[in-house]
Amino acid sequence: MGVAHVLKLMKLEMKKNKVGGNIKGVIIANLVIIGLLLIMIFGSIKDGSMEFTSFNFTFSMVDTMVKATFIIFASALLARIVIEEYKNDTITLLFMYPINRKKLIIAKLLIVVLFTFISIILSNIFIDFVLCITNSFYNFIPDKLTTALIVNNFKAISINALASTGMGLIPLYFGMRKKSVPATIISAILIVSIICSDNGGYSLSNIIAIPITLSIMGVCIAYLAIRNIEQADVNK
Amino acid sequence: MSYILKTCNLIKTYNGKEVVSNVNMNVKKGEIYGFLGPNGAGKTTIMRMMTNLVKPTSGEIEIFGEKLTDTSYEFLKRLGTIIEYPVFYERLTARENLELHCEYMGYNDKKAIDKALDLVKLKNIDNKMLKEFSLGMKQRVGIARAITTKPELLILDEPINGIDPIGIKELRNLFKMLSKEYGITILLSSHILGEIEQVADTIGVINNGKLIEEVSMESIRESNTEYIQLVTSDSKKAAYILSNNLNISNFKVIDNGVIRIYTNTVPQSIISKTLILNDVAIEAITKKNSSLEDYFLNLLNGGGTRA
Repeated sequence: MGVAHVLKLMKLEMKKNKVGGNIKGVIIANLVIIGLLLIMIFGSIKDGSMEFTSFNFTFSMVDTMVKATFIIFASALLARIVIEEYKNDTITLLFMYPINRKKLIIAKLLIVVLFTFISIILSNIFIDFVLCITNSFYNFIPDKLTTALIVNNFKAISINALASTGMGLIPLYFGMRKKSVPATIISAILIVSIICSDNGGYSLSNIIAIPITLSIMGVCIAYLAIRNIEQADVNK
Repeated sequence: MSYILKTCNLIKTYNGKEVVSNVNMNVKKGEIYGFLGPNGAGKTTIMRMMTNLVKPTSGEIEIFGEKLTDTSYEFLKRLGTIIEYPVFYERLTARENLELHCEYMGYNDKKAIDKALDLVKLKNIDNKMLKEFSLGMKQRVGIARAITTKPELLILDEPINGIDPIGIKELRNLFKMLSKEYGITILLSSHILGEIEQVADTIGVINNGKLIEEVSMESIRESNTEYIQLVTSDSKKAAYILSNNLNISNFKVIDNGVIRIYTNTVPQSIISKTLILNDVAIEAITKKNSSLEDYFLNLLNGGGTRA
């Protein structure tokens, strides 16, 4: 009953906010990432540098770029589904429906969470796949693509996707303070630029404790946003 | 007497400032309750509390016979509302907005949408997004949305804002019809007296967060009979003649030259004849109804300084 109800609320949210339209955005983001990577790969071949000569490095590069993209994507979605509802005062309308407010907010956050998680996983798989195909023609990575390598990469993608999805909720805190769309998105860009910036092949997100801690923070922020929602005044 | 909505010593404080003070409102089942007060008097805050959007600092609200708590949700099914101004999902059409509303309300009769749009006289709007609507049209869509689900109680905050005079008249008739034919109780706020007095059965007057008066229109009308207004250059002499020659004691000298005579025993023709025969020049003499406006202005200014 409870789960079915939340699912129905999610469906209504998606209809209301035309979430389906974001799929186009995901595809475009994927193509842009592929384009950038190809430029980097062929650039490094020309320079004779050794950067993209292992699958591990290439896959982790893909993951970092995907992560960065979709944390920002998540913030735009948060802004659209949560922050704008407050900013346009349609939250007044929503909270006058005979539906538990906690469920209403959970449905919204679940859309963002699922959308981010699924996008990160699928984008990683898709881009890795495209790069492997490209590699079979140009052979810039001499390693052999073993099953073990693929399984390990998939594990890494899943853990990183989970962590990134959690991190994607942090902008909710900054956005809700003043019901500001720019604050939501700018905070996401800041988070991304801190943890995903590359320092000679390493970024803060490679130290797994950091993304996991941030991810737990994101979940706590979401929890705090829901906890007192029934006691809070809804003013203009 | 059965009340559909009651507030009991309702208080709301924002940052130490009391914006709603000890309000006791009683809305009877089936009536149109006009909630009258100047801008910023606290009407919207009270209505937000009735719909559970804002929580009272103290006091309580009873709606459909049940006390409102933080986790009351069921009562909202029986309610239609517009609070402050009608808000919509602007990227959707009016119909899509109403469909969404029905889904959230758990109301399945899709025909109700057509009927509601019909009642507020909205036509040919199917391909227009809400953001292209004027304020007046949004008000109509808002009212349509509020009545689609056939509520028992309508809470409408300034529903005639932005609507043209013809539209106002149509809506007035609509409210009366909803009340009479569907038995819907309507709580309606406005800062315009003229609007309230033409539809309301009971009026609650609020100023500075306090409910000053709650009174039935019927009793106001009874207590405010008609009078004769006389304008003369010599009000002193006129007053003397009124009381001495005509034995009228119930009159009031308002200010320079205006006298109001409250009587229905002495006809107007006798009054004017007697005054003229006694050399009192009459500039004007008319029969008037004591306007409700005076009554309410008195209430609102009551205790305060008079201009």
